[in-house]
Order: sequence, then C-alpha cells, then structure tokens
Amino acid sequence: MPAIILIAGLTGLFVNYFRADTMPFKADWSIKAHEITADGKRLDISLVEAEKLFTEKRAVFFDARSWEDYENGHISGARSLPWHEVEQRFVEATKNISSDTTIITYCDGETCNLSHDLAIFLKDMGFSNVRVLVNGWTVWQES
Amino acid sequence: MLCELSCGDNGEGTMNCSTEKKTAETKPWHLHRIFTLSARLILGGIFIYASFDKILHPAAFAKGVYSYQILPDGFINLTAIVLPWLELVLGSFLIIGFWLPGTVVMSNLLLMTFTGALLFNMARGLDIDCGCFSTTADSAINFWTVLRDVSFLIPAAYLFYVTFFPRNKPALNRGDDELS
Repeated sequence: MPAIILIAGLTGLFVNYFRADTMPFKADWSIKAHEITADGKRLDISLVEAEKLFTEKRAVFFDARSWEDYENGHISGARSLPWHEVEQRFVEATKNISSDTTIITYCDGETCNLSHDLAIFLKDMGFSNVRVLVNGWTVWQES
Repeated sequence: MLCELSCGDNGEGTMNCSTEKKTAETKPWHLHRIFTLSARLILGGIFIYASFDKILHPAAFAKGVYSYQILPDGFINLTAIVLPWLELVLGSFLIIGFWLPGTVVMSNLLLMTFTGALLFNMARGLDIDCGCFSTTADSAINFWTVLRDVSFLIPAAYLFYVTFFPRNKPALNRGDDELS
C-alpha cells in the first residue's frame, strides 16, 4: 500500500514539475487572495458596500445557489441564477440588465465557489461590473 | 442418491459422478470469477475516468479541494497534485490485476473518504460543487452524489471480501489467477 502511494505521489510531483502550468506545493488560499481576477482586480465586495448599493437600488443581486435554496430564502429582489444551470437560465435571468449594471453574486459559506464562478462567467459574458459578496446569504441574514 | 448408487456400480458410473460433482462445484466458482472481474473493471474504469479531468486541470481541482473546507490550506495544492494520480494508479492496477490486496484496500479507503467528505459537507450545509468527475460545475453535492459514491462502494466491498475473507483462501489457490 505505501508503494502505491509512493508511485502516485512521485508521478504526480514529476508531471507537475515538467508541465507548463506548474502548480506550487503551497498557495495562499485566503479569501482575499481567492477573490482576485486574472487581471489583478478585486472581485469581493464588503457587506457595508453591498448594503449601500442595495438601499440605493444601484445593484442587481444574483443568487448562485440552487433553485431550492433560493426558494427557502434569498436577499430581497435577488434573481436566481444557479451556477449548475447557468447556461439554461442565463438569458432569462439577465433580462433587462445592461452590461454596465453593478451585479453582486452570492452563495452561502466562506469557501462556496458558486458565486465566484458565476461572477467570472458574467464578466466573460460582457458584464463589466460584477462583484462577489463572500458568504453572502449568511452575512446578509446576520446583518 | 441415484448418483451415489451408480457410483458404486461400475467404474464408468464413478467417472460420470465425479464429473457431475466437479461441474456443480465449478459453476458458482465461474460466476464468482465473473463477478470479481466485473467489479475490478467497473471500479478501475471509474477511478481512471475520475482522474482524467483532474490531471488535466490541477488548479481547478485545487479550488474544488479548497471548497470542501476539510484540509488545511498547506495541503490543498499537494492533494490536488497527487490525488488524481492515485486514482489513475489504483484504476490501472485494478484493471490489470497488479498488487491487488493493497489496491483493493486503498480503493475502499479512498471511496470511504470521498463519501465521508460528501456527507460531512452536506450535514453542515455547504453549497459546493462535487468535483467528483469534473473540475467544472458537474453537479452540486446532494443526496444523489452521496448515493452514487455509496454505489461505488459495493464493488469495492465485494473485492475486499474476495481478497481477504478467509473462507475464499482455499478456492483462490485452486489454480485461479483472478487475484494475481
């Protein structure tokens, strides 16, 4: 059994060393480091800032969780765009939203990637001002 | 009864009797070999299939490992580098029948770890990608992903049984090559 682990480990390390996109053994997995786009821009938005935009009605909130979770409770006025059904629901969910509208995506849990992935997707689809409210549903309820 | 009577009568009868007995003994054994081979091929195929996308996209897989929120940050990248290769090695060894006892134990441990991780995160309500077969959004963790992993444990547990259960030891020594 240790031999199997050794073979897999050495092969993995060997391939990783020689591949073009070599991955470091250790990386910064803090939330701050995580919510930075490839071009160095911050994706995350603070709760205070998000609440301000919400009150002033200057942002559209997108719930990246499943439809069931959305039904059980969501930020008032938020649109449902489950990450796992993003291709089917994208057109309907983004109806009447211009490309320069501020969009805030959220899911639940500090390590939840759904809002992050949805934000990247929306940016790729041409929305220029997309932010992520990390651990959105929990912090919104607590505020 | 008829067989026993004929066995005692003449040599030819004895020969027929022993052939019948042998057929009766080997029939379940053939079935047993088919089940074992099928379990090895199915489980091996699953492991190899699961490893491909993770090997091709280690950074995306690392994000998946991170989202499970189980490992310390220092182990996330190392796990993303090594784990897919462990799946590939286990899958290959299961299919070619190499180092089976160790491979079967590792396969069972790995599947139990995966199932445990899914259950743990479902219990604490984390809404994350399964990341089981793909580094893209293949499916969120839910009851069905857990059930799928549990179903993979069936052939794994069967292989564990035929490899280590003492009652099978004499049978495995009868010139069979399925576990070698």
